[in-house]
Amino acid sequence: MFRTHPDEYPARLRWPRLGQDAAIVIWPSFLVASVATMVCFAFIDPLLVGNDDYPPPAFASRMTGYAVGFFFFWLVASLSSLLSLYLVRTAHPEPPGTDEPKAEERVRSPQ
Amino acid sequence: MTGPEVEMDGGLYASRQKIYPREIAGRFQSKRTIAVWVLLGIYYLLPWFRWNGRQAVLFDLPARKFHLFALTLWPQDFYFLTWLLVIAALSLFFFTALAGRLFCGYACPQTVWTETFIWMERLVEGSRSQQMKLARAPWTAQKALRKGAKQLLWIAFALWTGFTFVGYFTPITELAGKITHFSTGPWETFWVLFYGGATYVNAAFMREQVCKYMCPYARFQSAMFDKDTLIITYDDRRGEPRGARKKGADPKAKGLGDCVDCTLCVQVCPTGIDIRKGLQYECIACAACIDACDEVMDKVGYPRGLIRYDTQHGLEGRKKHVVRPRTVVYATLLAALAVGLVVSITHRNVVGVDVIRDRNALFRERPDGSIENVYNVKILNKDSAAHEFRITGSGLEGLVVDYAGATVWVGPGEVQGVPVRIRIPEDALEGGADIQLAIQATDRPDLQASGKARFIAPSD
Repeated sequence: MFRTHPDEYPARLRWPRLGQDAAIVIWPSFLVASVATMVCFAFIDPLLVGNDDYPPPAFASRMTGYAVGFFFFWLVASLSSLLSLYLVRTAHPEPPGTDEPKAEERVRSPQ
Repeated sequence: MTGPEVEMDGGLYASRQKIYPREIAGRFQSKRTIAVWVLLGIYYLLPWFRWNGRQAVLFDLPARKFHLFALTLWPQDFYFLTWLLVIAALSLFFFTALAGRLFCGYACPQTVWTETFIWMERLVEGSRSQQMKLARAPWTAQKALRKGAKQLLWIAFALWTGFTFVGYFTPITELAGKITHFSTGPWETFWVLFYGGATYVNAAFMREQVCKYMCPYARFQSAMFDKDTLIITYDDRRGEPRGARKKGADPKAKGLGDCVDCTLCVQVCPTGIDIRKGLQYECIACAACIDACDEVMDKVGYPRGLIRYDTQHGLEGRKKHVVRPRTVVYATLLAALAVGLVVSITHRNVVGVDVIRDRNALFRERPDGSIENVYNVKILNKDSAAHEFRITGSGLEGLVVDYAGATVWVGPGEVQGVPVRIRIPEDALEGGADIQLAIQATDRPDLQASGKARFIAPSD
């Protein structure tokens, strides 16, 4: 549907690669961590979490439990994003032409 | 043709150049301003509304209860939230299929807060050209004052945003009191700063970069598009070939189309694209270019709509279809889910029971020979009225339920834990068996729930 690939945009409007990479790692993992935190703590009450070494409650308060859970999920998801990004960035380039939009996907010819 | 004029942005992403969108008035910008006021008004004021002596909308995380006006939701009601999210996603698909990126241009928090921050920037630094002049100017006391005032305004607004956000999760009147005494808890302080900081970075610095590089919706929205979806589009058959002309000159004589190539559509674009190059995924459908172009068309005396909301079919001069399989399917699904949600919320069971075995002892043999197990029975009353509950048990021969008092009183929206002793006669059971514990409100027999528990007896 869309004609212009971001790489075709004027360089002055493009983010530097490092900024893009940071956003690609941090942002999706933030979204995923938010959802994971919601699902996790809908079923688990932090005040009932614990084991023999740290009998329940292992967390000082529910808010601490939620926060620890959220940042844990964010960290884990960030690592996953980072690995995915690394694999994408270090992959062999696609053979030329594979990224071209199909004719019927073009909106109008640019002229 | 000139591109959008840009300046170096000395901020977080040093080599990115800042876009200074030109201010523009017009019918679509008025609608967007109204959307900003309404949405931010709801966001900043909603936590201050009261309902039956408590905050009307409060996601009380410490107490694990969500209050939404008359409704109180518990962790057990989590699937309502999931349901709601599915409805929200489907609404997005539906409106995208109908009218393109309405959400991006009018309702996305990123757009709404960016507009507000741009508005504050203009308040302090003036128009687009004044802002660019100030950015180029050497550092003087005057420049420091203006930049400082802008930052102060931005930071104050971001902190208020963070405070309001936390106010959805902790009673906002108490929070306001604590802030005036500098006595907020560590997590409250942290989340105010976290959310305030995120607002500041997103709306003051990243702006359109969020849409370009971070927004998944911008990438997959084309899957919901078809040739009958409203998009913001430049009519190149009418506009080309573009070119400057003298006032009153006949464009046809010069072989020109209607586009006077004033580049205003590029200058007003918050994402810095040229709509005349066709549909681009950076376009957030804010319609600023429509307003700019209409104004120019009025001035030069051409009909409006060289840049306009239209569909691909419309542009090609073909028939437009609002009702089509895609929109019908989305609308039907949406209606079914919405009706289902209302029905299931109004018909949900408002009482619940949770049976937890006592951790200290498996069982106890009493002097009379009977076997006793101890449980903690948690009765959950999600109703808006208090009720008295009777606890009964079943599942084993001769089972006796013993707890303090004849009934258990549970207040509205509360959980009451009751120590319950269950006894069975000697030799009624060897090993373990499942039993059922049921609760029933004495005044409303339809309010009942039951839970399973394990009864353990000696196995010799």
